[in-house]
Amino acid sequence: MKESYSLTLDVKRYDPDTRISWMQTYRIEAGRILRFTDVLRKINKELDPTLAWNSSCEHAQCGSCSVVINGRPMLACELLVENAVTHFGTTTFTIEPITVAPVLRDLMVDLEKAYDRVHRIRPFIIRPAQNPNQGQEYRISPRVMEGYLEATRCINCFCCATACISSHKGFLGPNAVMASLVRIMDPREDATADRLKQLYSEEGVYRCHSSMACSHVCPKEIDVAHFVALVKEGDFR
Amino acid sequence: MQKMFKLASKIQCDVLIIGAGGAGLRCAAHILEKRPGTRIIAVTKVAHPQKSHTSTAQGGLAAVDPKDAVDQPIYHMFDTWKGSDCMADQDVVRKIVDAAWEEIVWLENKGMHFTRDEEGRLSKRTFGGHTVRFGEASAFRAVFEADRTGKGIMDNVWGEALKGGVTFLDQTILTELLRQGDRCVGAVLFMEKPGDFVAVSAKATVLSTGGCGQVFRVTTNCRQNTGDAHAVVLQAGLPLMDMEAVQFHPTGIVGPGILASETLRSVGGILRNKDLEPFMARYAPKMKELAPRDLVARAIETEIREGRGILNPDHNIEHVWIDLRHLSDYVHEVQIPEVSGFFKQFMNLNPRTQLCPVRPSNHYQMGGIPTNSFGEVQRPPDTIVSGLYAAGECGCASFHGFNRLGTNSILELITMGRFVGERVVLHLDEAPGALPADAGERTFSQFGGYLELKQKENVEQIREEMRRMMTEQVGVFRTEEGLKTAIQALSAAKDRLREAGLRCKDLRMNQELVQRWELDNLLSVSMVIAQGALRRRESRGGHARSDFPQRRDQFNAHTLAYMVEFGKIRFENRPVNMSIFETKGDHFDKFGLIERKY
Repeated sequence: MKESYSLTLDVKRYDPDTRISWMQTYRIEAGRILRFTDVLRKINKELDPTLAWNSSCEHAQCGSCSVVINGRPMLACELLVENAVTHFGTTTFTIEPITVAPVLRDLMVDLEKAYDRVHRIRPFIIRPAQNPNQGQEYRISPRVMEGYLEATRCINCFCCATACISSHKGFLGPNAVMASLVRIMDPREDATADRLKQLYSEEGVYRCHSSMACSHVCPKEIDVAHFVALVKEGDFR
Repeated sequence: MQKMFKLASKIQCDVLIIGAGGAGLRCAAHILEKRPGTRIIAVTKVAHPQKSHTSTAQGGLAAVDPKDAVDQPIYHMFDTWKGSDCMADQDVVRKIVDAAWEEIVWLENKGMHFTRDEEGRLSKRTFGGHTVRFGEASAFRAVFEADRTGKGIMDNVWGEALKGGVTFLDQTILTELLRQGDRCVGAVLFMEKPGDFVAVSAKATVLSTGGCGQVFRVTTNCRQNTGDAHAVVLQAGLPLMDMEAVQFHPTGIVGPGILASETLRSVGGILRNKDLEPFMARYAPKMKELAPRDLVARAIETEIREGRGILNPDHNIEHVWIDLRHLSDYVHEVQIPEVSGFFKQFMNLNPRTQLCPVRPSNHYQMGGIPTNSFGEVQRPPDTIVSGLYAAGECGCASFHGFNRLGTNSILELITMGRFVGERVVLHLDEAPGALPADAGERTFSQFGGYLELKQKENVEQIREEMRRMMTEQVGVFRTEEGLKTAIQALSAAKDRLREAGLRCKDLRMNQELVQRWELDNLLSVSMVIAQGALRRRESRGGHARSDFPQRRDQFNAHTLAYMVEFGKIRFENRPVNMSIFETKGDHFDKFGLIERKY
């Protein structure tokens, strides 16, 4: 374990003005416990203020900073320098944007377009079920909630969708399928049949090839593939 | 180059909401419920509303259930008044506390995944500063969704806004408010992706842009919280209120300053100094770890300053420990999984077997854009700017006075968000005002200026230095000398910015450009905070002057600061609303100028 590391970052750049992409190499010193978002910031400060990269919370809650590092989609804010060196066994890292949406500049992609698939599954209660306790909260047993609570932790970082081996155009995607399943299992949602129709349609779960890459890369450690499998099995209440 | 600086289009809508977090989208959802089909445009500078900082709030929502056998709204009002160090506006406090439970039920009925008890009802837990019977015992007042309540609210209101047909403009910033006489008629926006400027005409403009914590080096606030709307409001000749009322959360994780939620203390975590002494017993004998945040922050800062802290060698930052080793598996796995996980994730520590390093971190801005209890932006002393509203952290009604209790912030989002929605609905049948002829000129001049500057200075470098200076001089403890140093340093930074030009000249997705603009906003906000802190020669809530350690009656008024030209501030006062005290109802004496001891 060292106090700091000399890193080599090969970053995929893109200029929307010239429409040219290229790989640019940055060499920088980084303390062991810095996050990769800290490292990118350090590059802006010391080497290149034009390098564009997205982030917001920088502690794995918002899902803004997803990138592909040495081939693996992840949150840049979650990767500590010393963990990166240990895990990848190198101090050289290739950093590229995620593939789920068009690149705007460098590592920034048009996440709004990626969210289209999530919006299509309607991430809200489409038709509220009858509430026997009008004016109060629905009563929901914690046992029932346990069936889907993990899936509610999804932050739509699109790491799973990036890792997914199915096409982004033809498939709703693992995170969108999971979001719809949450509402299917939620007793407050009445439009279960509508949702299932969508999930069993051309863009639904038949596109999933069970690679389970989604579960493998999820930064929140949600077993996304499990929820997709539940839809395939038709087993959710 | 000149061709870039024109309005790409003019858009008309009914309601323009700047900031698509919890407050902004709660407002949108309310309007759409009452008047379906209303054309609402919600603007956010992040990639998608779900990325808003609201999503990161951990703790919970304070709300008194009318069916509760023990708790009562008057207790919640008292706790808030006392917690505010007698600076919250009592009409606002009453209004929000009374509306709280209805909002919880709304959230739940719309699908929020609150944590439940075995009967399937909403679980409740205690939280620092919340008591029953005016301080007698801790109140089980907070509802929550595990330790990700903010995410639950955000997902919920975003879903409802989407359902109701809101148009979202992502990665778009507010650069200019537009007025016709005294009325706000819309705004100029810069859409970062295409690099376009647009003018929007709206019957109502709602500012819900959140906090400005990025003025500090050590903060829990996200990278995007750079006080943009605060700066735009100042430029428009309107004041900000109580900006020196900054909350420092006692337990930020060393290094990144990420929030280690109060929940850690509410489930039984213990703070220890380098001698492993549980020192809170000395500072708050009764409530100890559950004393309000400013008290705990000052306690930790004092321990550090008196040499009982521990130095972390990587970040060169001093801290104390939080001890979670004695807590059960259930607590670690079910009650505090996210926040307990932070220590593993960001420090490579195991909280079940190791002590975890924490230190005070900037967390919340109690001050902001002054409004009344309806969320209408004020031009003090007694007029409102028609067509302009503010809700959430960027607003200052004031619900929190000079110190905010945990679980009251996200409560404010959904209540003030709804109150603004109610007000907006009343005006929806009015004709929109015409946009001024010079709409955008100010923006073009500012942005054009950035592209023409010499490229001698590095923006990130200046930003880092300024933020470190603010944490040191305008942080937990403030002095006259330190504040004057800060004010000088801010002016010097502003001068240096004259030679901080941009290498990338293309307007499309130009991070450099946006960060240059953000730095101007950070400096403006910092200047107002520093000068406000200098003027307020007392200690109150989160504002602590080592040279004036007591609260002083002569400062029993809100600070209003106007700053059209950088550094030149005109100050005024706004009286504190004492309506609960003045009504002389039950327990009115508890709402006078009371002592703040726990």
